[in-house]
Amino acid sequence: MIDGMFSQPDYVASKKMLDATVMRQEAIASNLANLETPGYKRVDVSPSFQSQLSQAVASGNPAQIAAIQPELAVDTQAVSSRTDGNTVQLENEMLKLNQNMIEHTLETQLVSNTMWRMRLAITGKS
Amino acid sequence: MINILTGIDSTASALNAERIRMDVISQNIANVNTTHGLDGKPYQRQQVVFETVLRDQQAGDISGAGAQSVQVARIEKDNRPPRMIYNPGSPDANAQGMVAVPNINISEEMVDMIASSRAYEANLAVIRNARAMAVQTLAIGKH
Repeated sequence: MIDGMFSQPDYVASKKMLDATVMRQEAIASNLANLETPGYKRVDVSPSFQSQLSQAVASGNPAQIAAIQPELAVDTQAVSSRTDGNTVQLENEMLKLNQNMIEHTLETQLVSNTMWRMRLAITGKS
Repeated sequence: MINILTGIDSTASALNAERIRMDVISQNIANVNTTHGLDGKPYQRQQVVFETVLRDQQAGDISGAGAQSVQVARIEKDNRPPRMIYNPGSPDANAQGMVAVPNINISEEMVDMIASSRAYEANLAVIRNARAMAVQTLAIGKH
């Protein structure tokens, strides 16, 4: 019964998005670390995560949302503009880094606000 | 073990690798006029070779997906022949009065140095971001 409190679809979805943001941070760290490594191919959270998540959210089934796992994959869209075959672009990664930071802020606030609302409902005071 | 600072292993490896690269560059610049090295020959320019290391062995597969670190695979000698300069007064001059001087181009080294410090800065930005993210994560539930 108590589990029901934490299995609302949007709460579970925001937790999943938070997982994806942390994983993307790891990907960007890896990409920037290998900025100068010949032949390195940039990695990112696999694009299937987004489509799976929006499908699961549309279905409204928390168990289906919880079953999705974000994973890292080589970015096949990225093309190399350099002679060494490396597909990392510094500016692009820095933009992604900042974007990811903002997404993380949004998602931590979503999770916090859900908890705050629950606390308000239980105690009647914030 | 879970890391509270996400991706810190990759970033730390990159900072280390870039520092080694900077060391090698400064060694090249310092030895721009060294005509008599330890082996008695003029100094030869050195360069680092970076390689990717798969950090998470069990998570990664052959496709190479997964977070990766970087390391200096080896430090290689540049095989460009030395420049010959006419300087008969030098103790290292040959019979024709020519001295073999290392073929180091200062501009090339400076450009490498800028590239290296930019890469270093980019990795520091990752650490700053990871730290801010960790602070936010720890603040979940506080209102």
